[in-house]
Amino acid sequence: MTTTPPARERPPRGSRYYRPRRAISWVALLLGVALGIGGGLYIAWQVAPLEEVDTEPWQLNEQNRHDFVVAIMLGYAQDGNLGTAVTRLLELRPSGDPIQYVADVACSLARSGYVDSASGERAIRVMMTFYTNQGRSGCADTLLPPVQLPSPTPSAGDATPTPPRAPTKTMTPTLEPLAQSPTPDIRVAPTVVPQGAFEVVRLEQFCDADAGGLIEVYVQNSNGNPMPGQRVRVAWRNGRSDFVTGLKPGQPGDYADFAMETGISYTVEMPGLSDPSRVITSERCVDFRGRSTQTSYRVVFRPAF
Amino acid sequence: MDDASPVTHHLIRVSMVRFLVSLIIGAVIGLLVGLYLGWVQFPVEFVNSPISKLAPEYRDDYTVMIAKGFQADGDAVGAVDRLRVLNISNMPEYIFQQAERYISISGDIADIQALIALSEGLGRTSPLFDQYRQITPPGGA
Repeated sequence: MTTTPPARERPPRGSRYYRPRRAISWVALLLGVALGIGGGLYIAWQVAPLEEVDTEPWQLNEQNRHDFVVAIMLGYAQDGNLGTAVTRLLELRPSGDPIQYVADVACSLARSGYVDSASGERAIRVMMTFYTNQGRSGCADTLLPPVQLPSPTPSAGDATPTPPRAPTKTMTPTLEPLAQSPTPDIRVAPTVVPQGAFEVVRLEQFCDADAGGLIEVYVQNSNGNPMPGQRVRVAWRNGRSDFVTGLKPGQPGDYADFAMETGISYTVEMPGLSDPSRVITSERCVDFRGRSTQTSYRVVFRPAF
Repeated sequence: MDDASPVTHHLIRVSMVRFLVSLIIGAVIGLLVGLYLGWVQFPVEFVNSPISKLAPEYRDDYTVMIAKGFQADGDAVGAVDRLRVLNISNMPEYIFQQAERYISISGDIADIQALIALSEGLGRTSPLFDQYRQITPPGGA
């Protein structure tokens, strides 16, 4: 006799045989977490990174790090607080010695056009003083002569008894007798290589006793709109003066002026941005109301391209 | 086989649902963790930033340092040149406002005096400034 095995009974629906052993799949969960973290980081770093705010000095680009170092040194030169200066230098997170870093920055600036301006040279000298006092050295020590002597001595052929005062923008021009006018002097070629970004589009002479002996400078964009905050330089034989457009109250934003002295030859330029203008000299003249005064000039700079 | 097949199919379907639900739950958790890590714990650190992006306190520090430089050499053009990197549209107004702000929060006297000097060097002054000209900062010049 053979016995047949009992027929397989179908488990009732809802029994544990119909249900997975665990409610969640740990493998799937971990895989999801991994994918999610990857996606989250991609979104956070690539798609929607945080907006750049609260930038710290160490995050600055190299040029602006140099600017910051210069500022620290200028502050130190005024307050003499070495601790604050070093703390601020450390905020830049230099790779090595923070004071040597100042020497390296001074070296870099001394090799660049930064040193062409009196202000830049003074800043580098402040930096040199700082790091040499701390026993460091840099290439700026050799690039800049150790002592800057003023050059007030006129040449033998110069008829001017004393070198001209550095005129200011607000100085009232003083009329001098024609007999004291020196012979036309020789302008020294500028040392800054012009970059040609701006050019003199107008240079005209005029005679007005209300603005006698002035160089009126206007810096405008291509459309003739004012460009305030532009640096302009007037140079003469024994000196130069830098000033900025748009700072004179009651004048348009593209305006700046300079008071000339009679008989001195000047050039006008935007340092590093334009060639020097032709030489201009203020002389005696009589304006349309019959008033005796000095000639003035109007110089307009605009972008060259 | 025919009897087992519905059970097997059902189990496969349930397992797939379980897998997908687990995956989605995991992905949501992971996404939240990833966003936290990317935005809070390890946010993007910007480098090569322009100085105009400096945090306000550093911008203030920078301005004060330049103002002190102006105090030392009286070179307004140099100071304006150095502050131009901050991309300020109206520089005299900016310096003036910072000087007034420092006065209002009783900032460091030497800093205020430097800012006042620069503000006045750029043609902006205020009656508020008068009293600070007569003060000698502690231990200062």
